[in-house]
Amino acid sequence: MTNALQTLILGLLLGGVYALMASGLTLVFGVMRIVNLAHAAFVTVGAYVAYGVFTAFRIDPLLSILVTMPALFVLGALLYRLLYAGIEGSHRFVEMTVLVGFALALITEGLLVTLFTGIYRSTRPWYSTASFELGPLFIPEGQLYASGVSVVLLALLWVFLHFTRTGYAIRATSQNRTSAQIVGVNVRRISTVAFGVGLALAGASGSLMSFLFTFFPSGHWQWIAILLSLIVLGGLGSLRGALVGAFGLAVIATFVSTWLGQTWSPLTFFLALFVILLVRPHGIFGKELEA
Amino acid sequence: MGRTPRGLVLGALLLALLATPLSAPFLDSYNYVLQVMIVMFMWIAMTSSWNIIGGFAGYTSLGHGVFFALGGYLSGSLFVYLGLSPFLTAPLAGLVAVGVGLLVGLITLRTRGPSFIISTIALLLMTNLLINNWQFVGGANGMSLPLPTLPLAAAKASFYYAMLVAAVGSVYLAYRVKRSKFGLGLRAVAEDETKAEVAGINTRMYKIAAFALSAFFVAVAGAVWAYSLAYLRPVTFLSIAIAADFVLMPILGGRGTVAGPVLGSVLIVGVNELSVAYFGGTALNLVATGALLLVVLLFFPQGIVGTLRQHRRLPRILDWD
Repeated sequence: MTNALQTLILGLLLGGVYALMASGLTLVFGVMRIVNLAHAAFVTVGAYVAYGVFTAFRIDPLLSILVTMPALFVLGALLYRLLYAGIEGSHRFVEMTVLVGFALALITEGLLVTLFTGIYRSTRPWYSTASFELGPLFIPEGQLYASGVSVVLLALLWVFLHFTRTGYAIRATSQNRTSAQIVGVNVRRISTVAFGVGLALAGASGSLMSFLFTFFPSGHWQWIAILLSLIVLGGLGSLRGALVGAFGLAVIATFVSTWLGQTWSPLTFFLALFVILLVRPHGIFGKELEA
Repeated sequence: MGRTPRGLVLGALLLALLATPLSAPFLDSYNYVLQVMIVMFMWIAMTSSWNIIGGFAGYTSLGHGVFFALGGYLSGSLFVYLGLSPFLTAPLAGLVAVGVGLLVGLITLRTRGPSFIISTIALLLMTNLLINNWQFVGGANGMSLPLPTLPLAAAKASFYYAMLVAAVGSVYLAYRVKRSKFGLGLRAVAEDETKAEVAGINTRMYKIAAFALSAFFVAVAGAVWAYSLAYLRPVTFLSIAIAADFVLMPILGGRGTVAGPVLGSVLIVGVNELSVAYFGGTALNLVATGALLLVVLLFFPQGIVGTLRQHRRLPRILDWD
């Protein structure tokens, strides 16, 4: 019983971080129908930035969010204008974005290997190995703080989307692009902002990843499969769905990891992805995903 | 364009390729040249095969590495455990891959467009995980095959001819499919699946058949490749770089055309060889692959052959459809 409870706690803490990682991916799909296959590669970029400022200036990884978010926002806005704005509305746009994301992921991975080699890295702030004890249970401090930060950022995202003019415009664009344009939303500008926000969320996730997991340039393929399965389960484009998917699958994967061994926990996500695509391709709360 | 005797030129090219190994006594870099040609043939065989589902039917698969691994590991295991030569078991591996393709296609082809691509990535990563942990085929440590008993030059020549057969077979298959009623149906699927369905095409069966058929020569190439490497690891077949090449080569050459994948394979393998020779095999190769894919996708989505044809500049020698 204690064991199961312990596993559940670890799963929920993990779920919080997964939710933040997946939020940017699902936002970008929801607003622009872009499947950003390079999302996890940008999370990894965020982790390297956090690692850089940690080793160079001793800046705490949690604080490094103040660096990674703006940096990746700018990168995202630039990439949108450079790559996606031009093919908007082209034949098979969604499929195109998958391949463009694939190419971006290859480029990012190659650059990361060139700059940082393939060595496994992680930042080691004091809380990364500390933990609270609650009777027979223990709660790792690093994961607790990371999960807390995720929840705060997701709440801020919610506030941004629901209580600011830009947020309204983003939601309008995601509901109906053409109508949004008709009522005066500058869809191109809003898309640029939304893609920037998506990558900023990836950047923040990277800061958290830097002390929660060891990371290396090619690790993002594993991550993108996990993130895709989370948001496909919840329904692509739905933030609520991403949350449900993240917590649900993180808990299941943690149980699989405890019972069958860590090797098999990724299998949870791959199988989940398959089953969902087959049984309910639109996910729980999602939009239709067609070419 | 004047009337180039296309059949004659292509026939002469094939004869030249058949005769290349005879140059052994006169060529210092004989082994190197043959090795590059083997890799080139392998990619021609695999991308022409991929083109049946990825080009003709328009269903981009990032998971064909799975069939590549299937061919390599199946023939490799039969060689290690039963002593059967991979040259004999390669066609068998192809048939098994077609069977597996049918089963996998039944599942993954329930999805369309982007969902299909995502499911093929999941398939690739899942297979990678399974083979890495399957001790019967050596797991992550890999599996050694017995070395060929022939002298090196003769062994190279035998791999060369085997790969050449696979490449020619695969291109011929693609050509026959393209010109058949089946190929016409696939083109309808690629252009507008719903309309194709309304027109009475059994799109589901067509797609599954295309997917299964596209696995055959990928597995055959995998079997021959495994034999020539004599040492198999999951990453040899299932790496993302290989998945990228599967997509990049046909798209660069022109997906959905018969000559496109051949042209794309020759170009990419050639450029790769040059860049390894001049810059060493670094991660910058990955960057170049990605950048090239990006440029082609954004500016020449129809690839070289498609773009030339659109401008009516396609030389007859490259018009194989």
